[in-house]
Amino acid sequence: MKKRLFGSLLSIAMVCNGCASLEKSRISRLEVIQNRGELICGVSGKIPGFSFLKSDGTYEGLDIDICKAMAAAFLGDPNKVQYRPLTAPERFTALKTGEIDLLSRNTTFNLSRDSIGGNGVSFAPVVFHDGQGLMVKKKSRITKIEQLSNKNICVGSGTTTEQNLNDAFQEKSLNYKPIKYQDLNQVVAGYLQGRCKAMTSDRSQLAAARSGFPQPEEHLILSNVLSKEPLAPASIGGDQKLSDAMRWVVFALFNAEELGISKTNIDVIIKEAKTNTNLMSLRRFLGIDGDLGNKLGLENDFVVKIIKSTGNYGEIYDRHLGPQSNVSIPRGLNQSYLKGGLLISPPMK
Amino acid sequence: MFLERRSIKQLKKELASSPMDTLLTIVIISLFTWVVSKSIHWILFVADWEVITHNIPLYLFGSYPKEQLWRPLSWITILSALTIVTLIGGKKIARKKFLPLIWLSMIPIGIVFIAGGLGIYPVPSRYWGGITLTLLLTIFSAVLSLPIGIILAFGRRSELKFLRFISKTYIDVIRAMPLIAVLFFGQLLIPLFLPVGLEINRVLRAVFAFAIFTGAYVAEDIRGGLQAIPPTQQEAALALGLSSRQTLQIIILPQALMTALPALTNQAIGLLQNTSLMAILGLVELLGISRSLLANPSFIGKYLEVYSWLAIVYWIICTCMALLSRQIEQSLSTSSINNI
Repeated sequence: MKKRLFGSLLSIAMVCNGCASLEKSRISRLEVIQNRGELICGVSGKIPGFSFLKSDGTYEGLDIDICKAMAAAFLGDPNKVQYRPLTAPERFTALKTGEIDLLSRNTTFNLSRDSIGGNGVSFAPVVFHDGQGLMVKKKSRITKIEQLSNKNICVGSGTTTEQNLNDAFQEKSLNYKPIKYQDLNQVVAGYLQGRCKAMTSDRSQLAAARSGFPQPEEHLILSNVLSKEPLAPASIGGDQKLSDAMRWVVFALFNAEELGISKTNIDVIIKEAKTNTNLMSLRRFLGIDGDLGNKLGLENDFVVKIIKSTGNYGEIYDRHLGPQSNVSIPRGLNQSYLKGGLLISPPMK
Repeated sequence: MFLERRSIKQLKKELASSPMDTLLTIVIISLFTWVVSKSIHWILFVADWEVITHNIPLYLFGSYPKEQLWRPLSWITILSALTIVTLIGGKKIARKKFLPLIWLSMIPIGIVFIAGGLGIYPVPSRYWGGITLTLLLTIFSAVLSLPIGIILAFGRRSELKFLRFISKTYIDVIRAMPLIAVLFFGQLLIPLFLPVGLEINRVLRAVFAFAIFTGAYVAEDIRGGLQAIPPTQQEAALALGLSSRQTLQIIILPQALMTALPALTNQAIGLLQNTSLMAILGLVELLGISRSLLANPSFIGKYLEVYSWLAIVYWIICTCMALLSRQIEQSLSTSSINNI
């Protein structure tokens, strides 16, 4: 009897899940967002430079600005965003259950997360190419990974960081002594107390940690990158309309930087494009001609709305991670392809 | 003068009765002074308290909408006023019948003030945070876990085999699970079982998870209280013609709860501290908001300041809870004597 009851409950639950997902596939999440008039964005809220809480209770950072750009494109208003602070384990669940519309939370793009056999989420283009790095004291005169052979290195234990470190040293057949700690704060403390010559973590985390040091200028992040950590926004898999819109919002940010369109000069450029009919591709990009936006289910001038609210990718980067900011990370790979980086937007036509 | 000399003598006897004792006393006192003076030096001259003073509203209310701030503010103010009145007022006030009623009324008032409803503009739970959220989580979980505990405690002593089995299994299973697992279950798995569109609020899910967990421990505390009552009392009550329900209600339960009170206070304080686990599950209660603030580039590296401040805040709240329960204990014990 009990078994039968449990079985029927289970089948009800499964049928309900089935009908819900059927319903979901019929109407795109993008329309749900537009009908709601608000975008629900899953963020971390705990990563310096990417998303953190300001004293007035609002969130700020690169991940947050991506959410704002999406809201500007989908709804025409960058402020119509609801931020949900999420921890690493709950982020994909929140996406799957529809608690959030999209995830902009330092999520590494990899095969098992993208595939149907894995987490089955759909990734937008990479907005930050992170990678594991090493930080040393400038006084030690170390500039290359080879100079760290047989030295102590502080690392968080049980993480992929530890594995990557091991792989990198084994590849170069170098020896090192790992000093393992539970979490990043302890790694930092161990490094500052001089228990090791170098500490390792993601380069963005190293930069963030360094900005809190008493003398940040005395520490050097080595140029060696031990692993790739491409961080990208994500949405639920199987919803092409939403994932397309997200993909092209990110590309629009890159493209605007390639074309030199920024928050400050956009009005001038619009005026120029309106008067000069020869600027075909620019006119299409800004939505003066053609129907690029409509094809995505957005307004034709969605690019203008994005740039007016957040600026292009370079402006977003400089605001949160540029040399003037508190968490300064050299652009490196996150530079436009025109300047030797990895960011490139396919043609927007 | 005499008194002074006697106390000095007493001190000498306690601290320096033998050379070894004297040595130990000196070592401990000098260590203590060293630690205290270093800490005071750090608190006054080294620490940069801007991270706290700048963010007091965040610590108190999270990112609650600015124009509605009066709501959690007044709830917390009334709560602390009530605490002070109860603690300072002493037995005279504590014995008044209306006081427990006021305390109980703080729960619906809290819900209405913070969540909205009854004509007050609703504020969704994602804006709740800070001390307000910590207190809400603690109070609601505690209030929910008490009936769960009472039912389970009686269930475990029931004469019905099935009921006894269910209660016993429940208590054993829950006690064998770490709290964090229960919380993860509530936050990550429950939403997967629910059909899309039906969404139980995250705070509510946390409250249920805490109540389910704490209920098992409360049940054992109350069972301890029940066992302290001699069976003769029940027999006497039945002999006097009281129904078994009346016996439970008037004779057994009040006494059991009173005996269990210190243990229950223990649970409540533990619960308050356990709410900080929600920080790793994405709620911005006291610890969560601190961790978010530490990621703010202007406050990076202020760990010591933030965690010292947290320790003080938790200590104050816990001390208030302990003192309140002592007050309740005292007032209950005297009133029961008077009634006899």
